[in-house]
Amino acid sequence: MTSSIAFKSFTGLRHSSLEHPKVLHSHTTSISPLTYRRFRITASKSTPKLQNRNLRVAVIGGGPAGGSAAETLAKGGIETYLIERKMDNCKPCGGAIPLCMVGEFDLPLDIIDRRVTKMKMISPSNVAVDIGQTLKPHEYIGMVRREVLDAYLRERASNNGAKVINGLFLKMDIPKKGSENINGPYVLHYTEYDEKKGAVGEKRTLEVDAVIGADGANSRVAKSIGAGDYDYAIAFQERIKIPNDKMVYYENLAEMYVGDDVSPDFYGWVFPKCDHVAVGTGTVTHKGDIKKFQLATRKRAKDKILGGKIIRVEAHPIPEHPRPRRLLGRVALVGDAAGYVTKCSGEGIYFAAKSGRMCAEAIVEGSENGKRMVDESDLRKYLEKWDKTYWPTYKVLDVLQKVFYRSNPAREAFVEMCADEYVQKMTFDSYLYKRVAPGNPLEDLKLAVNSIGSLVRANALRREMDKISV
Amino acid sequence: MASISISASLHRACSSHHPINKQQPQARTARSLGSKLVTHVVTLNVEGQRGVGTAEQQEKPALYTDSPKKSNDQSENGLETEPPVPKFIDERWKKGTWDLNLFVRDGKMDWDGLIEAEAKRRKILELYPDASTNEDPVLFRSSIIPWWAWLKRSYLPEAELLNGRAAMVGFFAAYIVDGLTGVDMVGQTGNFICKAGLFVTVFGIILSRRIEDFKNLRKLVDEATFYDKQWQASWKDQNAPNTGASDKIMNKM
Repeated sequence: MTSSIAFKSFTGLRHSSLEHPKVLHSHTTSISPLTYRRFRITASKSTPKLQNRNLRVAVIGGGPAGGSAAETLAKGGIETYLIERKMDNCKPCGGAIPLCMVGEFDLPLDIIDRRVTKMKMISPSNVAVDIGQTLKPHEYIGMVRREVLDAYLRERASNNGAKVINGLFLKMDIPKKGSENINGPYVLHYTEYDEKKGAVGEKRTLEVDAVIGADGANSRVAKSIGAGDYDYAIAFQERIKIPNDKMVYYENLAEMYVGDDVSPDFYGWVFPKCDHVAVGTGTVTHKGDIKKFQLATRKRAKDKILGGKIIRVEAHPIPEHPRPRRLLGRVALVGDAAGYVTKCSGEGIYFAAKSGRMCAEAIVEGSENGKRMVDESDLRKYLEKWDKTYWPTYKVLDVLQKVFYRSNPAREAFVEMCADEYVQKMTFDSYLYKRVAPGNPLEDLKLAVNSIGSLVRANALRREMDKISV
Repeated sequence: MASISISASLHRACSSHHPINKQQPQARTARSLGSKLVTHVVTLNVEGQRGVGTAEQQEKPALYTDSPKKSNDQSENGLETEPPVPKFIDERWKKGTWDLNLFVRDGKMDWDGLIEAEAKRRKILELYPDASTNEDPVLFRSSIIPWWAWLKRSYLPEAELLNGRAAMVGFFAAYIVDGLTGVDMVGQTGNFICKAGLFVTVFGIILSRRIEDFKNLRKLVDEATFYDKQWQASWKDQNAPNTGASDKIMNKM
């Protein structure tokens, strides 16, 4: 399926028979409606063929989700519009991408500022554990600057034929329910900013057949389809320029601090960036105290960032779970707008880019490379596939967060556990390659026993601590 | 029962990857913790403690305060100007770990003392978090303490109550079974069904120690399934595709 999408842009060739292998294939399956699933494909193919034009899809938001969605759409022969408000937006973000993203999205190596090969987990009682000893020489966690990554993905979308519009999406008119205009267009209202004319924007409208909302946590697309809200964490981050001799330590090392002082339900981090470090923390439950947690994070890393200058302060909401509705009619949400951020690690870039691509693939397939109208059932396929592929990952991380970020003793046990090589290997494998590798049952059992032992010890110490008054 | 199961898992947990366990008997006899050189130090220290009688003095971890003032207005440009805060200092804490030699008492390793000392250290660090430095990393791991030292710590406050309850339930169960079936006490112990019943009873009593435990269990189940519900919301929506669905969801949120 992907191979047919990987064809270069089809402008001029779209209606020729060159790119038909996949279409023919899906047609043959639709002839034999043996199963429920196949029957549904037949139903979606009942959508009318488009006359004199290709399917028009607007992607709102030009982050990793929007960029990769637009690229896939444009490659699939769909008339694509990408609306982004701020082209040089550097979203406050850890900026870590797993190794498999480099391959899957064909990223050039020069956009990766740093290759992190060592992670340090630091417990409330300052026990530091190095994780990453099991990494093979070619394995690393890439650190990117979001402004660089986003711009690269947008540019690639544009090169493939997507029209990138510098504009602010305001609202959209959803076609009224009714038999005659069930396939009527969505009318998007946006303000276009032209570099020549300066700051004053121009109000415009755009008619499209489908919309992909990739406009982040405060998504306006989500609002306009009544997608509901999600709980969110607030992430606070300071970019700190530290002296060169201190920077040597963070050359290829990232730090994670856990503890009640740093965050009651998340972790504090020091991530290396191109020429500085990002020090930050996040929380869901105590958003008002975020400044205090940030201070504590800085203090825990005090000696290592001594003499640093804060060059930028950032804060941003991070979704905790998907929105109650991620899809309505021909509007689908992807990335942060849908709420695809993992718990525990708070990772979102890869999932955003991946969901954007998956959604776009569903549209390309449903529209037979832009020649047919799509309907909700085509988009539903993206949702189905997404939940099937990634639900286990999300659930595992949710359980991990609930068990180990619960209290200081649990965090001590967590850090203690991370010293184990088997744990490190499993964690990194699942992080870097985004697949849950089957473990060794004997090792798994040992791990379970060990972690229970760690938890019991840490809790016994906690009871002892409660007795003592300092 | 509870304590037995915990101890069993603890034993496995400790023994599986901590070779110190096996060295423990040696420490008890104050012979060696690793090398011959250490042996010498151990005996010296024990004698020193006895002779001078500084054991009590060493017990007290000092809460060392550089400066009494605490400021909260350091949030602005405070990378370098943070005032010093109380720091954890203990004579037995050396180079990032507890000096086990100083915990030897009467030729025996004082694990309880070690647990207390570590608890105190953690407590101080929790109240006054300290910077983690590369110069003196924390090397101490609680896993070096053997499982039986922790066992004393995992005492159930309601142990007496549970024992009493289990005994009474057991007695009446035996009485009723005897009355109904004619199988006497001795006969019951040889019966598989009765043994299984005993097992169920004991576990039931352990699981439901107090009324709150029921609530806690339910809370745990809710918590465990909460995320699933959040994810499944978009699939419920499919069954009610009319516009009213969104309002319902919005209200629920």
